[in-house]
Parts: sequence; structure tokens; C-alpha cells
Amino acid sequence: MKEETGELLEHLFRQISGRLTGHVTRLLGPARLDLAEEIVQESMLRALETWPYQGTPENPAGWLFRTARNRAMDLLRHESMAERKHAQEGPAAVTVEPPDFEDDAQIRDDELRMIFMCCHPEIARDARVALSLKIAGGFSVREIARAFLTEEATIAQRLVRAKRQIREKGLGLEMPRGADLAGRMEAALEVLYFVFNEGYAAHEGEDLVRRDLCVEALRLGLALAESEVARPELHALVAMMALQAARLPARVDALGDLVLLEDQDSSKWDRELIGLGFHHFDLSIAGDEVSEYHLQAAIAAAHVRGAGGAADWEMILEQYDRLWEMSGWSPVVALNRAVAVGKVRGAEEALAALDGLERDAPMRQYHLFLAARGHFLRELGRREEAARCYRAALECRCSEPERRLLRRKLGECEVS
Amino acid sequence: MAQYLLLLYQDPKWMQNLSPEEMQKAVEKYTAWMKKSFTKGGQRLSGPGKVMRPGEGKPRVVDGPYSETKEALGGYYLIEAASEEEAVTLTMDHPHLEYGGTIEVRHVFGT
Repeated sequence: MKEETGELLEHLFRQISGRLTGHVTRLLGPARLDLAEEIVQESMLRALETWPYQGTPENPAGWLFRTARNRAMDLLRHESMAERKHAQEGPAAVTVEPPDFEDDAQIRDDELRMIFMCCHPEIARDARVALSLKIAGGFSVREIARAFLTEEATIAQRLVRAKRQIREKGLGLEMPRGADLAGRMEAALEVLYFVFNEGYAAHEGEDLVRRDLCVEALRLGLALAESEVARPELHALVAMMALQAARLPARVDALGDLVLLEDQDSSKWDRELIGLGFHHFDLSIAGDEVSEYHLQAAIAAAHVRGAGGAADWEMILEQYDRLWEMSGWSPVVALNRAVAVGKVRGAEEALAALDGLERDAPMRQYHLFLAARGHFLRELGRREEAARCYRAALECRCSEPERRLLRRKLGECEVS
Repeated sequence: MAQYLLLLYQDPKWMQNLSPEEMQKAVEKYTAWMKKSFTKGGQRLSGPGKVMRPGEGKPRVVDGPYSETKEALGGYYLIEAASEEEAVTLTMDHPHLEYGGTIEVRHVFGT
């Protein structure tokens, strides 16, 4: 971990809030998740009241940890005293011995258990996503609502529902093992994958919070991948996320306009993330199961290896073929596959592949589908039809940078 | 160089709705300001404390000002400035003002 004297690590509060909540929840019990959150919030408020005058402590994370832990321990001691008084000299309640903050392994373990509890398959998926971001990710309700372009009340409701499910179904902080692990891991991967894509796609607005979603999904994925429960498909997902996130800095130019993959300046790609991505890509190869995440990771790796427009499109198409089948013929995968078809077999075939998607109603209002059609029509010299596609695409929901790119493409069709 | 005391008042509930990320941003802004060359120190005052007033026979002691005023004294900084005007100018970009707090600037007599 980077240590900069006096300066706080980027997102320290957000990132440590998940660990602290995990730890305090273990002390108080999962049914009292709300109280655990309150205690963590309180310890941060204490920091906010104190540090501006006293300065940032040498070990800010340790300070926050001790403050939250002491508060939780006080509460437990208080309760056990009240209980003993109630039971009149009965046996003392079991005291929980808290670990030192230096016991990093314990804290990491608390965090992992917390991730698994938030991602529990017994909780509805949208509630699972909101809960993971709130508890494990340290996002506020407002930030989650902004990232998902929803109302705060909607997110708040999902959180209430998720917490009720935890209480009613008695979900706990146990570390999934054995036969249980595969299903629990799958549910966690689904959440991380969803959060990452939501941040990566950013089809509306220009909010940086959305980028934070990618960072957070990757961070939580890494926390799991570095643990003993890591599985090949988890490494594959982490590889995919790291390799895709590595390209984020090159996706937008100095004017804030979108840059297509083949035009990206690969010197702007994040080398550290690429290294991390390939490291986990190698680890994902262990075992003989090939998951959707493996194929996604292989495609992301091929794009990174093909910097400067030299990507191995034959190989990418092959992966998309498998992914398409494995995804149960998902239209979104089919769209991406069609782009690969165009690279390998030409625009005519790509258009034929896209035609099959016309039947899908949401696709017809998806700007990327229309933009892809426009692209291949134009390649074939069918400018008027291409222009019509771009115009239709501009009618759809999309982000501002995407809108500018579409307008430019439309202009190119109209001019020549 | 003359010394000025900056008294920082705030609504005790002002930061309860901040997210961890926003709290960190606030902490960073305050500590960055404290590191400026003209600041000579500062202390947080914890609340609510007691308020003492003369009473019948013996002084009357009540709980601190939190219950009576919306804004409570949260802490102070000591800064150096050539004049009151300069002290005010130096304090203009204090994050406390951005977060809705009030700052009282007072000359430390004799400095």
C-alpha cells in the first residue's frame, strides 16, 4: 500500500468503511447491521471534528478502527452488564476479544465475510447490488442513486429490503466453504460484474461517480482474489475488469470526446492495471472450466495485446462465438460479436448478423446497435441509410461524449 | 506580526449527511488549510460543555450552549497577519465557510 506522509490515501474513508462495518458487524451480530453502520459513521464524524485541528494522525486507518471498535466494545460491555444485573449474578456474558488493528489478516477476513453477506444469493439482485455498494463499498445512498440514475428513495427501499432479508433469513457472516462456495461466489461475481459494467458503460451523463463504480468493483474483486477462496472464474473477472479499466484513461480525448478503441493512444493505458490484469489472467487458466468471465477476459486481453489496431480479430470472434452461445444468445453479446464479424468477414456479413437483432425491441432503441449498423452501412457506401441510423441513434438515451461522436459520424455521412 | 484568533462556529449536525468520500474531502480541505504558513496552531473544543452564570447565592451551571443556539463553537485557530484586513483576506478561502460554518476573526490584544 502506498504511504504518503500526512496525506490521506485516495478514497481511504470510503474503502475502510467496508472493513470497519465488517468488523463491527461481527462484534455486534449481522442482525444489527444498522447499528454497525451508525458506529462507523460516528467514528468518521469524530475524525472530521478532530483532525482539522489536531492534524491527521500518523495512522488514519488505525485511528478510525480504534474509535469504531471502542464504541462497539463499550456497547457490548454495557449490554452484558445490564444482562448480568437482569439475571442477578448469573454467569458473565461471553466477552469478545477484539484483535489489534495490526492484525490485518483478521480485518481482511471481516471484509471478505461482509462482501459475501452483502452478495448473498438469498437477497434479490438489485438489493444485493445496492447493499454491497453501501456496506462493502462505503457509498452513500445519494452516491448510489446518482451512479444508477435512480431516485434516492428507490435505493433506500432496496437497502431496507436487503437488511430485512438478512434478519428474517438469518444470513450471517460465515465464510462460505466447500459445496456452498461455488454458488456464493457466483452471486458475488454477478454483483461485481454488474457494478463494473454499470460504471464502464456510462450511457448517460458525465458523472465521475460512475467511474468510481469500476474502481470499487475491481477493488472488491481483488480483495476476494487475494484470499484463499479465490477461484479461476474470479481471477478471470478480475483480469477482465483490470484490462478494461486500464484503457479508461484513453477512452476520452482532451476535449472530452470519446475515442474509439482502434484510435486510442495506447501509451495512455494504465501499465499497472495491465500487469495486474495479465497476472490474474494467468491465474484464471488453472482448472478446466471455462466461464463467461474467462471469455470476456480473453477478449479484453486480445484488445490490449492488439494496441495500435493490430488486434487478433479472428481470435476475438472465436471467443465471441463461444460467449454468445454460453450467454444463451444474449443480444448484447450478439451486438459485440457483429462488430468482430465485420472486422474478420467484412461489412456485408456484419450487417447480416445485425439483422438478426432487429427483432429484439430494446435493441432497436439502443444507440450502440444503431451506431454499429450505421458504421457498416457507411462502409458499404450506403450513406443515406447510414445517416438514418445515426439520426435514430441520436434519439436514444446516451452520454454526452457519445452524442458528440454520433453527431460527428452523422456529419461525415451527410457531407461527402 | 499581530496574531488573530479564528473562532469557528457550526451547526453540530452539519456533517451528518456526508458520505465517507465527502467526509474525507472535508478533512483534507481543513488539514490543508491548517498547514498554511501563517497558521500557528489550533484546537478542537469538544461539546457540549457547561455554561456558568451568576445565580442566587451560588453560580448557576447549565449544559453547554448546544441546546440554546443552533451554532456552537467547535474550535479555534491562531494565525499571524499584518492587519485585521489581511487576517480576513487570508481566511476568505477557509473550507469552514464552504461547509456553512461561521468564523469570527478577533485580534489578540498586545500582539
